[in-house]
Amino acid sequence: MSVLTANTRRDLEVHRYPLLVYVMVPLAALVLQAWLPRVVGRFVWFDLPLVVTIYFALGRRSPIQGMLMGGGLGLFEDALTHHAIGVNGIAKTVAGFLAASVGVRIDVENQTIRVLLNFSLSLLCSGIYLFINRALLGLELDWSWLTELFKAVGNSVIALILFPILDRVQIRD
Amino acid sequence: MESFFSRYRNILVLLAVLVAQIVGLAVQVRRVDSGGSSLDISDGSGVRLIRMWANALVTPPERLIHSSKLGADSVWNDYVDLRHVREQNQQLQQTIDRLRLEQASLLEDARQGQRLQGLLNFQEKYIYSTVAAQAIGSSGSDQSRVFYLDKGSIDGLKQDMAVITPDGIVGKVREVYPRSAQVLAINDETSGAGVILESTRIRGILRGNAAGQPQIVGILADQRIQPGETVLTAGGDQVFPRGLPVGVVEKVVRDPERDSFIHVIVKPAAHLDRLDEVLVITSTEPRFSQQEEQDVATSDQLKGPEVAEIKQQAEQKKAAAIMAEHLPGLIDPTLPPDKQPLLDNTNPNLVAKPPLPLHPDRFTPGSATTPVPDAVDNDAAPEDTPKANTAVKPKTSTAASAPTQKPAKPKSATEPDAKQQKIPQRNP
Repeated sequence: MSVLTANTRRDLEVHRYPLLVYVMVPLAALVLQAWLPRVVGRFVWFDLPLVVTIYFALGRRSPIQGMLMGGGLGLFEDALTHHAIGVNGIAKTVAGFLAASVGVRIDVENQTIRVLLNFSLSLLCSGIYLFINRALLGLELDWSWLTELFKAVGNSVIALILFPILDRVQIRD
Repeated sequence: MESFFSRYRNILVLLAVLVAQIVGLAVQVRRVDSGGSSLDISDGSGVRLIRMWANALVTPPERLIHSSKLGADSVWNDYVDLRHVREQNQQLQQTIDRLRLEQASLLEDARQGQRLQGLLNFQEKYIYSTVAAQAIGSSGSDQSRVFYLDKGSIDGLKQDMAVITPDGIVGKVREVYPRSAQVLAINDETSGAGVILESTRIRGILRGNAAGQPQIVGILADQRIQPGETVLTAGGDQVFPRGLPVGVVEKVVRDPERDSFIHVIVKPAAHLDRLDEVLVITSTEPRFSQQEEQDVATSDQLKGPEVAEIKQQAEQKKAAAIMAEHLPGLIDPTLPPDKQPLLDNTNPNLVAKPPLPLHPDRFTPGSATTPVPDAVDNDAAPEDTPKANTAVKPKTSTAASAPTQKPAKPKSATEPDAKQQKIPQRNP
């Protein structure tokens, strides 16, 4: 358990990145999320904006920054669909908040924790999306939890590859 | 008080952000008559503005990626991967020649159809002009099956225009921005298109299901609907012109909510998952376009003698079909259609021979004896008379098929039929 908890100064430091990274990485995530389905067809088993939200929330360790980034990316995702704007926004706001809150308490450099966090937060986002559509909005929505499970696995795999790459661009003292 | 806000700052900000988004959601959804909720189809100005911002942010990089991909593809296809191109070129040339002949032969039928529709005050709409566009992006969500085109209102696109490919229909334009447009695909759950099954002529509404398959909903269970049947647009939805290919029936499943209804799952003709170039129908007219007229003129010019021969053959076939319907005795059933005496041009005064009777008697043309009524009435019917009557082929003339052994007293079963046939002739 001591491996998982943040008990050193390095574990608790806030990661900082160049401004260009803060702008380009979320934008690239939005663009690729909109473009890649044309390449992979119906196998859209990933959510790049969510992965990016979780990464920056874990690194920055600030719940407000995490929820604002998640909310912003979610709203942009909603705006590209023909559904109501705000469903993904709410789901990713909660995900960003939780990721940053957890990041304060645990060692976010650990790859296993990162993968587990991505998996569980992906499923949580799916649950929130379903809850908002069915309970709050009263919309009829066909749903497949198997697809959401595949999506959570896809997000975890992408995080496993993407997080070490993004770690290289952070500003170190 | 200050310590309260500083202590619960994160939670309070979270609640504020969530409440703001929930309020934003509430104004976009409205109640419907059936008691449920529905998304407001016409976006408000604020929502439309957000969509436009997102589109303006995402579309330029997507356009860049797409053009890079096209450039790489063209370098590979145009300069590297050129094997079998010469053979394909020859095959395509042969196909063009064949299609030109077919087009010329079908044109007369199409024009005749137009004239008849004009007489009936029903005018078929033909695709008159289209705009070619590239699919550059999607919504990124499997819950929303929309995609984006690289053409917008500047190029003449408007809402509710039909989007097709040469294979089949794709969807309709939902939102138009200056340089891009959002298209709602036919496999989305909120889409709708009027379709008709080609052979059974059953009409229905096509929309997507959760798995992204187009399905025809709201039709009663019918044993005639079989997998493989072609589905076409019905033309009643004011979006898609009539007769465009939609796909083929893949399978039929029961409607889980209504027992007597079924869902017909359709395999789309267009590759909805891998769209590249599409056509947006910008206008329809009740006549052929200039391009189509030019194509036909080119066909007539290039293949004149062959086209004339095809037209002549088609006319002969039509004449033979009409004669076969009205004068069945002139058709020899033992000969194939192209060897019929009607098609023999060498003898312009051809008179068809009447078929020979199965049992010639004194009433038969050419017989030397004269009928005696009393003798006929007193004659007993031979045992094989019914067999002889039933053996007469249905498409022979009336004189040849009449019973010959008992002419004065026909069977009672045939008598009412004869009267019914005569009544309309007496009352003009």
